[in-house]
Amino acid sequence: MNMTDAWVLPLLPAAAFVLLALLGPYLPRRGDWIAVGAIFAAFVLALLVAADFTSALADHGAEFAGVANSVPWVEIPGSIEIRLGVHVDAITVTMLIVVSFVAFLVQFYSLGYMKGDSRYGWYYAVISLFAASMLALVLAGNFLLLYFAWELVGLCSYLLIGHYNHLRSAAEAAKKAFITTRIGDVGLLIAIILLWRETGTFDIQEVFAAAEAGAIRTEVLTASVVLLFLGAMGKSAQFPFHVWLPDAMEGPTPVSALIHAATMVVAGVYLVARTLPLFELVAGGPELVLAVGLFTTFLSAFLGLVMTDIKRVIAYSTINSLGLMFVALGVGSPAAAMLYLFTHAFFKALLFLAAGSVIHATERQEVGQLGGLWSKMPVTSATFAIGALSMAGLPFLAGFWAKDEILVALTENRAAFALALLTLPVTAIYMARVFILTFLGAPRDAEAHEHAHESPLTMALPLVALAVLTLVAGFVAFDQVGRALGFPGGIGEVIFAHEPHTFDFDIAVAAGSSVLVAVGLVAGWYAYAARTELPARVSSALRPVHVLLERKYYLDDLYQTVIDRGVLGVSRVIAWFDRNVVNDTAVNGPAETTSLIAYLLRFQQTGRVPNYALAIIVGVVALALVAFSLKT
Amino acid sequence: MTVAQVIFYLIAALAVGGALGVVLIRSTVYAALFLTLALLAVAGVYILLASEFLALVQVLIYAGAVTVLLLFALMLTRIGDVPETMVGRQWPVAALVSALLAGILIAALTTSNWPGDEDGLITRLPFEDVGDALFRQWAVPFEIASLVLLVALIGAIVLARQEEGE
Amino acid sequence: MEAVSEQIPLEHFLVLSAILFSIGVYGVLTRRNAVLILMSVELMLNAASINMVAFAAYAAPSATIVTGIIFAIFIITVAAAEVGLALAIILNLFRNRQTANVDEVNQLKW
Repeated sequence: MNMTDAWVLPLLPAAAFVLLALLGPYLPRRGDWIAVGAIFAAFVLALLVAADFTSALADHGAEFAGVANSVPWVEIPGSIEIRLGVHVDAITVTMLIVVSFVAFLVQFYSLGYMKGDSRYGWYYAVISLFAASMLALVLAGNFLLLYFAWELVGLCSYLLIGHYNHLRSAAEAAKKAFITTRIGDVGLLIAIILLWRETGTFDIQEVFAAAEAGAIRTEVLTASVVLLFLGAMGKSAQFPFHVWLPDAMEGPTPVSALIHAATMVVAGVYLVARTLPLFELVAGGPELVLAVGLFTTFLSAFLGLVMTDIKRVIAYSTINSLGLMFVALGVGSPAAAMLYLFTHAFFKALLFLAAGSVIHATERQEVGQLGGLWSKMPVTSATFAIGALSMAGLPFLAGFWAKDEILVALTENRAAFALALLTLPVTAIYMARVFILTFLGAPRDAEAHEHAHESPLTMALPLVALAVLTLVAGFVAFDQVGRALGFPGGIGEVIFAHEPHTFDFDIAVAAGSSVLVAVGLVAGWYAYAARTELPARVSSALRPVHVLLERKYYLDDLYQTVIDRGVLGVSRVIAWFDRNVVNDTAVNGPAETTSLIAYLLRFQQTGRVPNYALAIIVGVVALALVAFSLKT
Repeated sequence: MTVAQVIFYLIAALAVGGALGVVLIRSTVYAALFLTLALLAVAGVYILLASEFLALVQVLIYAGAVTVLLLFALMLTRIGDVPETMVGRQWPVAALVSALLAGILIAALTTSNWPGDEDGLITRLPFEDVGDALFRQWAVPFEIASLVLLVALIGAIVLARQEEGE
Repeated sequence: MEAVSEQIPLEHFLVLSAILFSIGVYGVLTRRNAVLILMSVELMLNAASINMVAFAAYAAPSATIVTGIIFAIFIITVAAAEVGLALAIILNLFRNRQTANVDEVNQLKW
């Protein structure tokens, strides 16, 4: 499989989508095997592309920047030329593997989870479309294609969040997700257009070249970078656009695992990583990214402490992780960010799928109704534990290496470093909390506990696979492992923007972070397993803080008020204008005037011949007058 | 004032007077009689213009047949019994318009330069020439005119007859 | 009677014709009875006839204009035919509506 033929990858799940959408009801098992087969084939091809890439890397050395392959699509000579094409480099290859693999595991898992669902076929169709769009997004060589895929991904997210379409809450959540990300998408579109106007091209590499050559005016570049980041913020749930992600948990759990943990939400991270050269050319660009990421990760860390729905806790942890990825990008370390993205995909998907296993077995999501599932669901519990520990950052698990990389990169910036360190124990505490409350202790709901059973093989296998990866994937950061896999000089040297980055392992930072994590885990254990009344006392003592967190910093209320007062108010004015001025006056006006004139004119038809005769004579006299005056 | 002028003004007065009678008199039958007067005066004008035959034709057909026909219609529709009780509603405007019309016509007629006999003499046309022309150059219109009369005859019969059995 | 032409210029006849025509117009517009309107129309036709014959008479002798007189003859012919037809129509109208007052025949009113 040649790198230049990578465009085949998105086509496989896209074909699956078309087949399932058109023929789904008539296929055996609604065609789920087509979807799973397509994405598996895409995964295999992704591995082949990666192999081809590494061999090319070996041939050309570390400076190899990737290949592009495109065909002209729309050409208006003299103004626009739009090409369809792919661009394959290290970031692309990483993303391809992550996306196709996790998509495959999730679709496999869905065979068990979504069994018996009334919209089974459509679910697989849309999830295939999503896989296709995501693959196209990471392969896109020009901004327009990227935007295309970006929007498609958003659409699939909307469709899948609203999958349980008999639930009002699901529909609302889907709307919220789409609208919130839309705000970012507008920014992205404007940025793309601005860049095109300055450089005349949509191709990403050409835009970079133009920017570095100084061909873009500073104001325009700054504006486009900010707007681009706006798009990334929307899709990747950064503050203040993070409100859609917890609500998106209304969708089926595999969807949450795939879209809202491993792939779509990292599209923003991918975008910024891809366009990092532009950010670095703008004064304050990286700082903006860093600030937003830091703020987001810090804020969301505390929200995990009070949420009672398992999926929501994991959702907030996702926001936490995403913020951390942006922090890494903000300090100019795309390698660390991509490493975290890579490992995060695995353990976050694992957490979601394990939670899905719990939900499937007990039909409950609230921790208040769970507990004591360890004995009944050993595989789920064990894998969930591994995922939670990795999220917290326990040493030697995947999350640890990735977080460590980021912390090392942050050491120059004292304030950022301190804040990031602070989030470590908090993360540990709430991950411990959710694990303990769900799996340990006495069951709080006897009926749920009765029903609980271990998941079928189709669901358990992906859990185990992901758990294994969580244990070992982190080691890929090491140079030796990287070289063994074919990346000369380790991944760090490959996933970069400008300068090669080698994996730094700073004992002090690692030790310090490990201590903090251990402290957090112990505290969590103490609060929720040993002295179980402690949390209640703390929350009643700090009642206002607790309420603030429970209401998610009142952000949702704020947004709703703005919409109710602001948007609806303005629209009421506009509606009045439209109804009264445009409709009544401008549209109905001429019609009514014509009617009126017609009504008045008809009195001319008296029906009496003498009147008509008079009219004739008057006409003749008038003409005669005119002719006579002209004659003289 | 020569004799000719006096005769002309007399005949003109008769014509105009008869016309005014037609349009203004309340009683319908009197209006018809005034029409006869006007038509006879027009015959007189033809004589002044040296077309005696035309004057004869005018008297025979117009003053004779047409007036009688009108009087018959008046009789058959019993309108003649009832005088007109009201004047048309639009008579002010009508008066104005006709006055304007008269004004324009007179202005146009008097200010135009009519090519004709430089001496201003009336050409006396022997009627044999007229008859000759009627059956030579104007033969086709002559035939068509007779056709028109035929059609009018048939049309009038068709229109005015009663339905069968009535 | 060549002397006549010296004393009565052409314009006199034309003016007479114009006056008669206008009076006829007034009658058409004002009279309520259909037959009387017809009479006014006859007046107008006669006025036109006078015009024609006057022009024919005062034309240059080299160009003997017979047309005017022929025209007058035809006018008389057609007018007679028209009167016959019009009266037939008025009779019909009277039979249907019991009235010959044109003001009352206004079915095509708005």
